[in-house]
Amino acid sequence: MEMDAMVLEHMMNPKNYGSLPTANAEGMGKNPQNGEKVAVYMHVKEDEEKPYIDDIRFQAIACSTTVVAGSMLTEEAKGLTLDGAKNLVNATMQLLEKLPPEDAACSEMVALAIKAAVDTYEKRKDDPEYPSITYQIGGTCTPKEENTNDNTAH
Amino acid sequence: MTTLLIKTHEAWLEMMMAGFMSHTNNRETLLDFSDILFRHFTWLEQEMIRNGETYDYDRDDIPIKVERLETMLKAVIARLLEIDLQLLGLENKALAERIASDISYMTSVLHEMNDEVITAFNMSRKLPGITLTQEATDALTIFLFEESYKEYELIMIYNYLKQHSGDAFLNRIFQILIDESFFHLKRFGDMMAKMGILAVPRTIMKEVYQVEDVVGFLKTGIDEELAAKEECRKLSEAVAQDNAQLAKFFDFINNQENYHIALMKEALAYYAKVAG
Repeated sequence: MEMDAMVLEHMMNPKNYGSLPTANAEGMGKNPQNGEKVAVYMHVKEDEEKPYIDDIRFQAIACSTTVVAGSMLTEEAKGLTLDGAKNLVNATMQLLEKLPPEDAACSEMVALAIKAAVDTYEKRKDDPEYPSITYQIGGTCTPKEENTNDNTAH
Repeated sequence: MTTLLIKTHEAWLEMMMAGFMSHTNNRETLLDFSDILFRHFTWLEQEMIRNGETYDYDRDDIPIKVERLETMLKAVIARLLEIDLQLLGLENKALAERIASDISYMTSVLHEMNDEVITAFNMSRKLPGITLTQEATDALTIFLFEESYKEYELIMIYNYLKQHSGDAFLNRIFQILIDESFFHLKRFGDMMAKMGILAVPRTIMKEVYQVEDVVGFLKTGIDEELAAKEECRKLSEAVAQDNAQLAKFFDFINNQENYHIALMKEALAYYAKVAG
């Protein structure tokens, strides 16, 4: 990880770190190779013409690079519509394709956790009891959803 | 009581950070006070367990980026006064009086402390009197962020296990591991402040410390200690050419991990004996 002042600032003061009691959707990105994981909690404001993410938080059992990626990506995601968040995830995944898998893994986990939270939110529109989705990183843009019995974010 | 526990948790860390920031005699006092606040935290936690109240280690962000120590001290005092107010609702009056008495003394001392200019956030990434290559500086920076969080995490995990265990044999081991992690956290926090990259360790996810499978946790923990030893060895190698003293420090931390592993194995053997 290149250590410029911006990266250091995200390491020292990660933005949006922690849980979000008001969240109406959660999702998780997981690295099955080493057990690292990122949980994303978001509150989607629904009383607008186009729902948007008005608050987002993340937590990680992972390395500092993941925390920096979580801090940056959740900052980007805040205020986006759900389509905007999906575009952010896709753009991030495309950028990560250019990196070796081991370098991409941390950011990929965060992007997939955001995607999981957005997908969970959309599933819950039809089924309010739908469990939180967890995606595992796989080095591709097509995340694998964990087994349904297993996909609840803890 | 939940608010009281959270505020005490925050005050403990805030006081410790203030200690790391200080370049003067204030430092020792602030770190001693932070130790007292940690003990308050554990007593309140035990009280909640006794009362059957659920709790966790969540807390709010603790802003620490200041230019003068005085600003930090004012924030700590405000938090202590908030705790003092919360104590009015604590049913265990002996505990409330003890904490209130400590707070009264600590705030009086904090009010009298001399102000200092703070350099703990200047991102210089230089240790006084030590010149490191860019590569070694980056490696040390990453190490300090990773390991300061890890030590805080270990303190909280072993504290949680200790609070929920009535077993004297295991509690002796948990307490040693808590003390060791405190030592490491203080050394790393001190280095982070000197390098201008001081940061409060991030909050810990519940599943990390609310350990259901202690045996599994200890087995994974031994692997993590071995990985930490390897990180210390790499770091020692990376800085050895630039500074032998710093290399020695990381060898010393590396060697301390051996005893942690031995203790964890001892705990595992004990669990196996009890299960058998």
